[in-house]
Amino acid sequence: MWSEFFTVSSLVVVLASTIRLATPFLFASLGETLGQRSGVLNLGIEGVMLIGAFSSYYAASKTGSPWMGVLAALVTGCVMGLLYAFVTLVLHAEQGISGIGVFLLGLGLTDVLFQRWVGTPIPIDGLDPWNIPFLADIPTVGEIFFQHNPLVYLSVLLVVVATVVINRTTFGLNIRAVGEAPDAADTLGISVNRTRLFTILIGNCMAGLAGAALVLPFGTFQQNLTSGRGFIAVALVYFGAWRPIGAFAGSLLFGFVLAVVNQFGALGIVSGATSSLTAMAPAILTIVVLAIVSRRIGQPAALSKPFDRNG
Amino acid sequence: MLTIKKRARTSPAVLAMSLFAALGLAATGCSSSSESTSETLAPEVTTEAAVETTVAVEPFRIAVISPSAKNDSAFSQSIFDAVTRISETMEVEIQVSDGLFVVEEAAKAIRGYAEDGFDLVIAHGSQYGGPLQEIAPDYPDVAFAWGTAVDTFGLANVSSYSVRADQGGYVMGVIAATLSAAKNIGVVGPVEVGDAKLFVDGFKSGVGSKDPDVKVNVNYIKSFGDVALATEAATAFVANGADVLTGTAQMVVGAIAVAKAEGIPWFGTQSNQTALAPEIVVASQVYHWEVILATIIADVKSGVLGGKTHIATLANGGLVIEYNDAFKLDPEVKALADKTIAGLADQTINTGVK
Amino acid sequence: MQTEPVAPMLEMRCISKRFPGVMANDSVDFTVLPGTVHSLLGENGAGKSTLMKILYGLCRQDSGSIHFEGKEVDISSPSKAISHGIGMIHQHFMLVPTLTVAENVALGLGGRYGISDMRPIKKRLSEVSERYGLKVNHDALIWQLAVGERQRAEILKALYRDVKLLILDEPTAVLTRNEVDDLFVTLRQLTADGKGLILISHKLHEVIALSDEITVLRDGKVSGHTRPKETTRDQLAQLMVGRPVSFTREVASVGIGDVKLAIKDLIVRGDRETVTVNNLSLQVRGGEIVGVAGVSGNGQRELAEAIFGLRPNESGEICINGVRVVKPSPKAIRACGLAYVPEERMRDGVIADFTVTENLMLVDYDSESFATKGFLKLRAFQQRCAELVKNFAVKTATLESKTRQLSGGNIQKLVIAREFSSGADTLVVAQPTRGVDIGASEYIHEQLLLRRRNGSAILLISEDLDEVIALSDRILVILGGRIVGEVSRQDVNVQQLGLWMSGVHDQVSA
Repeated sequence: MWSEFFTVSSLVVVLASTIRLATPFLFASLGETLGQRSGVLNLGIEGVMLIGAFSSYYAASKTGSPWMGVLAALVTGCVMGLLYAFVTLVLHAEQGISGIGVFLLGLGLTDVLFQRWVGTPIPIDGLDPWNIPFLADIPTVGEIFFQHNPLVYLSVLLVVVATVVINRTTFGLNIRAVGEAPDAADTLGISVNRTRLFTILIGNCMAGLAGAALVLPFGTFQQNLTSGRGFIAVALVYFGAWRPIGAFAGSLLFGFVLAVVNQFGALGIVSGATSSLTAMAPAILTIVVLAIVSRRIGQPAALSKPFDRNG
Repeated sequence: MLTIKKRARTSPAVLAMSLFAALGLAATGCSSSSESTSETLAPEVTTEAAVETTVAVEPFRIAVISPSAKNDSAFSQSIFDAVTRISETMEVEIQVSDGLFVVEEAAKAIRGYAEDGFDLVIAHGSQYGGPLQEIAPDYPDVAFAWGTAVDTFGLANVSSYSVRADQGGYVMGVIAATLSAAKNIGVVGPVEVGDAKLFVDGFKSGVGSKDPDVKVNVNYIKSFGDVALATEAATAFVANGADVLTGTAQMVVGAIAVAKAEGIPWFGTQSNQTALAPEIVVASQVYHWEVILATIIADVKSGVLGGKTHIATLANGGLVIEYNDAFKLDPEVKALADKTIAGLADQTINTGVK
Repeated sequence: MQTEPVAPMLEMRCISKRFPGVMANDSVDFTVLPGTVHSLLGENGAGKSTLMKILYGLCRQDSGSIHFEGKEVDISSPSKAISHGIGMIHQHFMLVPTLTVAENVALGLGGRYGISDMRPIKKRLSEVSERYGLKVNHDALIWQLAVGERQRAEILKALYRDVKLLILDEPTAVLTRNEVDDLFVTLRQLTADGKGLILISHKLHEVIALSDEITVLRDGKVSGHTRPKETTRDQLAQLMVGRPVSFTREVASVGIGDVKLAIKDLIVRGDRETVTVNNLSLQVRGGEIVGVAGVSGNGQRELAEAIFGLRPNESGEICINGVRVVKPSPKAIRACGLAYVPEERMRDGVIADFTVTENLMLVDYDSESFATKGFLKLRAFQQRCAELVKNFAVKTATLESKTRQLSGGNIQKLVIAREFSSGADTLVVAQPTRGVDIGASEYIHEQLLLRRRNGSAILLISEDLDEVIALSDRILVILGGRIVGEVSRQDVNVQQLGLWMSGVHDQVSA
């Protein structure tokens, strides 16, 4: 059985699967990275992912176009962002508990809407893979990297975009300043809350996309579809030391673990109690990851602290 | 002054938190306590039944509590279809509360229906055992049915119902073995317990009885909702050479989507899954709980409120293999399948599953 | 130069600002002429910060107007202030520690197409640095810089924005003598360039040395306006406090007793796991105040915390009243007869949301006089607290007021009341008057001297050199976690201390 696992074709299955499974993590953790760099903790992205997933499923099934699903996920993500921004920036609510509120809202809302409006989870026509010309034809490599749906490529592109934005733009400089020393940023005329509003909106839109990435390629929705991926994405931000490339590495790692466990199951390498153990791998990995980075090197100093000029 | 300002500032924050909590709870609350749902849909059902009812007879009142949507093409739909079929044969009033995956909410609903004096309260979910054990003794005049389960807690007003899912699995295994040219079949499961395990074990046994050389790999993904993972599981099976797939629980819609895209035969269970992918569903094992329910109702009417365990089987018609006519199945294979069904029914064939 | 009639650069006319329950500014007039230094004096809560916050757009006046360069201006935010040419050097530097000096300067400036291009910024920054002699590495991250360098970065940030008027809030509080001298050179250069400066300071001799004009605030009102030549230190202090204040202290030595606190070869690690107290030894005898002077961040905090058992020591020994502390914990150390006034009183000294009574009883609550079988004797509590509040002149509305409502000086008095009354005769006192106004400082100093007269051994750790010099019998200078110099009261030489503190003692002692 193990010999079946260590073959080129098995490797291709695992690595291609890794990339697909990493995509939702990547969208969500990139968005959360931006938010946390500006000092905003959003534990609610699991809920936003669910809402994004449901709305993309619903829109795609009503219109017949998966791209309308992508749009719907962006719009609902944005709306959730406005809500979160209102509660945390305007009302100064505690961010941790507000995030849990968003999660519960997303969980409950998508569940009730799914039952009322949909019920039977008929698969929709999902996003078809885009084979990148020439590259997709390379044996093995092409199969692993260049035969994915467009959201996969978009997520990788966003790693580059996020890195450039954070490090090379004035907006990124503002984000970093606001996350580390909001008072200092304020005295230089940078609006702390406006900067955070943007990172919250972007982060929530990306969480929405993460939800869409769970639905559109596979074409269906289910209650609690995200299964904790949003929370793992928050952990990945810590794992990635608040850097987009770190979030990328973490997403790939988690995607890889899931893919390996899945391939074990597919090849019948593990079964019974052992399969229960391997299925716990992501949970165990999350704990290990958080324990390793518990020193929180590089954590934005103002993370989860509301800003108030007179405070 | 500091404190005053602080206090003034905290109150909106507190407000906001309660707002979120309220929004969140309201949403989960609605989803779970679908009293409103039941009210909107039940009248359709009831009125139909009521119209036919002559004034003299009071209808038999049935309440159903289920964990997912009543049209989920799977577990919850099986009981909903069953009570609907019951309503076609006798005068009944039916109330359905679906989507109660939060056990506490379900417990509230169970108690509410018992309080309202329903004749039979069906707790359709193995997770509802705990609350039922607590509630049933408080309402000795109400009959409760619990499934899928085999325990009645020694209570005189609780009956349980279950299914020999292994029998249907066995039949489909026999068909699957003939369809797999590659001699490689993949099964996607949720957690290795209950009727999911029965179905999978029966399926494996059926495949083995037909052709021991066919490899059956089972991947329990440890989740009922993770469609993405179910999809990956199916994708991996296909990539590793499987040319027939099956699976059980709600998340398999992801796997069905893969089968559909790859044009690979699929076997459904729990409910008729043909609608999800008419091109590739070969057959579905369907639970016809109405057979069991009819027995339970007859018992209740004669004064026996519970204490029994009922098993749906191919023999008693509680378990039915429904073919998808659109799928062109070789008549010989179909004949073999029917022979297997008959054999299982008269116990000349044993699935070998405990 | 003040003979020519010059149009004022800034006029704040009749500024009033009310916070709930307090008049922070009451019809304050304040004027700055170009090329001059106008100092703003006052105790904590006198309204200096509020006035400056109004000027810098961090808060809005209720009434009154601001005129800048002859025009009435409306300063609703810091960016408005900046655009008018008003800059501010905050006491707690407004720098982003994880960014470089250049990036801090670039913050808020925008850039072409949103791309932050550091090259033109660095180029101009070099010019500004050159011109005012503000040397600092533009590519260094702020957290890597020493305090003096950070201040230069802060000033550069303002100068880069072409400020005409610069507010300096307590700029010398964290600097060594030499750094203060450098700063003064820079400030004089700025005024020579025609810039107006507003200096907020507690240090009266600096104010007198540097200012052209001095305005004193008390209780939100202007209590005096004068020029350095026309006033004295004592007069200024009286304007601030509202009563005569004495700066002369009892110097008579008292009989020196036994060694009460002895530290030998102590090594302690800081928060970043680096050695911050390095092989340090010292002794304090009864009837003696030993002052530990030094620039912030040289191991003072870690030393105090290690003595009190709040921080594990890597090696070395601590003896209190002749008993070697084996397993250091605050409780064990208190039992040995040591009391501790922590540097961060809000964090380590009191529980801000507890009442005054509760905070006063935090140490003694479980002693026999105040508790039986785990139950508190509340009446005994009340009596004792009433006594302490009276004896230590803690100003509080009631004994049941929340401690957070007290002023900094009164909270410090509360901590001192608790610690000094605990019966311990070895005291470790860290930064006792930091952020405390002159009146309370004076009182705290008197208490320290009183304890000294009564034979207590006192280790005074302070970054305020004046305080150390005024109170100590012996002064130790700490640098990089080591004692690098020691001098007794008679031989104090401020110059020498400054050199030790800045780490150039080797050249001098040679």
